[in-house]
Amino acid sequence: MMKNKITMMGILFVALFSLVLFSGCAEKKAIVAEGTAQEQPSAAQDAATLSAAAAQEALKDINFDYDKSNIGTEARVIMKANADILLKNRNFNIIVEGHCDERGTSEYNMALGERRAQESKKYLINLGVDGARMKTISYGEERPLDSRSNEEAWAKNRRAHFLIVQ
Amino acid sequence: MKQLSKIALLTLTIFSCLILPNQASAKIYIDIDSPSFQQFPIAICDLNNISSGSAQTTNIGVALADEIKKYLSMTGIFNILNKKSFLEKMEPGNPDIIEKVYFPDWSLIGADYLVRGNILQKGKQIIVDSRLFDVTRSELIMSKKYSSASDDQKDLAKTIASDILLALTGDEGEFNTKIAFISKNNDSSDIYTIDYDGSNQTKITNHQSLIMSPRWSPDNKYVAFTSFKEGAPKVFIKNLQTGAEKRVSDYEGLNLCGSFSPDGKYLLLTLSKEGIEDIYSLNVETLRLNRLTQSYSIDVSPAWSPNGMQIAFVSNRSGSPQIYVMDADGNNVRRITYEGNYNTSPSWSPRGNRIAYEGRVYGRYQIFSIDTEGNNLIQLTFDNADNESPSWSPSGRQIVYTSKTASRSRICIMNANGLNIRYLNENVNRAVMPVWSSRFKK
Repeated sequence: MMKNKITMMGILFVALFSLVLFSGCAEKKAIVAEGTAQEQPSAAQDAATLSAAAAQEALKDINFDYDKSNIGTEARVIMKANADILLKNRNFNIIVEGHCDERGTSEYNMALGERRAQESKKYLINLGVDGARMKTISYGEERPLDSRSNEEAWAKNRRAHFLIVQ
Repeated sequence: MKQLSKIALLTLTIFSCLILPNQASAKIYIDIDSPSFQQFPIAICDLNNISSGSAQTTNIGVALADEIKKYLSMTGIFNILNKKSFLEKMEPGNPDIIEKVYFPDWSLIGADYLVRGNILQKGKQIIVDSRLFDVTRSELIMSKKYSSASDDQKDLAKTIASDILLALTGDEGEFNTKIAFISKNNDSSDIYTIDYDGSNQTKITNHQSLIMSPRWSPDNKYVAFTSFKEGAPKVFIKNLQTGAEKRVSDYEGLNLCGSFSPDGKYLLLTLSKEGIEDIYSLNVETLRLNRLTQSYSIDVSPAWSPNGMQIAFVSNRSGSPQIYVMDADGNNVRRITYEGNYNTSPSWSPRGNRIAYEGRVYGRYQIFSIDTEGNNLIQLTFDNADNESPSWSPSGRQIVYTSKTASRSRICIMNANGLNIRYLNENVNRAVMPVWSSRFKK
C-alpha cells in the first residue's frame, strides 16, 4: 500500500514538473519574440494573489553596471517578472530602493542611487504598473548587501531593491 | 558654544599695538601664493620670564613658546627652527633683551623671522610683551602686548600666533575655525564639530541615522544637512545656539543638502521631485524653491562661488560625472573638467580663483584643484588611499578632506599646494565629509 502511494506521488510530481518546464519554454519563446536575448523562466504564472511575504520573496533585485542607471538585458527579464507580480497583486505598494557600490563619492552615489530607483520605477510604469503605487528612495553607497571591497561585492551592491509596503 | 564661553572667560586685552609707521598699511611680507612658495624659517625663542617671586622659576615662558610653535606649524607655511640651533646668548630675566637682537646670529642659522617676548605672571594674570623681527632686513615688524586674565595658555598662544600670521601674510589664518564632519558607526551616524587644532570634538546631532552633507551657514550659527531620521532623506537646518532643528525640504525622493549662499539667505539642494536629480535654490526663510538646472542627467553637489555670482556642480550630462560651472540663475553652463572620467565634490576657494574636487585616477580617488576657467589643473594628493570631499579653509590656504583606507577614514588638512598633511583627529574610525566653517568672531 505504502509503496503504491509513493509511486503515485512520484508520477504526479513528474507530471507537474514537466508542466512547469513546458510553460517555462512558452515564456522563453515570448521573451525571445520581444527581442531580449536572456532566458530565464518568468515567475508570472505563479504570480496570482500572493501574500505580502511571498510577493516580497518573489520580487527580485536588479543589478547595474558601474556608474550606470540603465536597465540592462538581464535586468529586463527580472523586471518583466517583477511587473507581473505587481500587476497580479494590487493589494500592496512598493518602495523602489536604489543602491550603489562603495566606490566614488557619497553624494554623487546618493544621486546615482536615486536615478537607479527612478529608472526602475519608470520601467515598471512602462510595463503597466501604476506609478502611484511606487515611491523611490536612494541609500547611495550606505547600505551594501556585501561589505567586502571587491568586484563581486560591488556588482551585488549596485542594485535596485523592491520593498513591499502595505 | 563651549568655545564662546571660553573666549568670554578669557578676556584678552591688548595694551598697545605698535606697528611701525611705514608698514601700517598691512604690508604682506610672505607671498605664500607664489609658485615658488616654500615654508618660511622662523625662530621662536622661549619667552623671557620676568616674573618675581616663585613665578620666576616656572617654565611658563617655555610652555607658551611651545604652544605658539604648535599653532604656527599648523598653518603649514612655517619651518619652525629647532631652538638648539640658536646662537645668540640671552640673559634670562632681563626685560630689555627682547629688543636687543644681534641679527647675524639669526641669519647664520637660516632664520628669516624671529619671535621674542617677555612673560610676566602675577597670580592668575599673564602679561606677554612680544616682538616679531624680520631678520633679513634687521627690522622690527610687530610689537604687541597681551594680558590674559586666566591661565589658559592655549588661547593666549592662539592669539599671538594669529597676530604673527596676520603681520606676515595679511591674513589671520584659521585658528578660530571649526570643521564639521560625519562620524559613521555602522548604520548610525551623526555630525560632529572639531576645532582647527584638533581639540574640542563635539557631537551636534543625535539622529543615530544615516546622515550626510553637513554645511555651515556663513555666520556659523546653523548647520544644514541631510538625514534619514524620518525614513527618507530630508534636509534639516540646525540652530547651533538653541539646538533647534527645522525640516526645510521633504519632497518625494531625494532631498540632498547643497550649500548656503554667501549671504546665508539661500540653500542649494539636489531634489528628484520631478523624477530627475536637479539643482534647486531654497529660500531658507520662505522655503520657496527656484529650479536652477533642467537637464535629464544627474546634477548634484552644488557649491556657491564666494561672490555669490556662480555655482559649481557635478553633472553626468556628458556620460560621466564632471565639474560644471553656471551662473547663479542657472544660465551659462560650462564644463571645466576634462581629465579623467570621474570628477566630483567641487569646493570653491574663498579666494574665488580655484575649485578643489576629487577625481578618479588609477582606481583611486585623489584631490585636485583647477582654476574656474578649467585651466591649471593640479593633483594635490597621491597616496595609496581614497582622498575625498575637499573643503577650503577661510583663508584659502588649506584644504580639509577625508582619507579613506579599508580599515578607517580620517580627516586630513593639507596646504592648498598638497604639502604638509596633518591628521585632525586620531580617535574616530570613520570620519567623512569634512566641511570648514568660516571664522568665529571673538
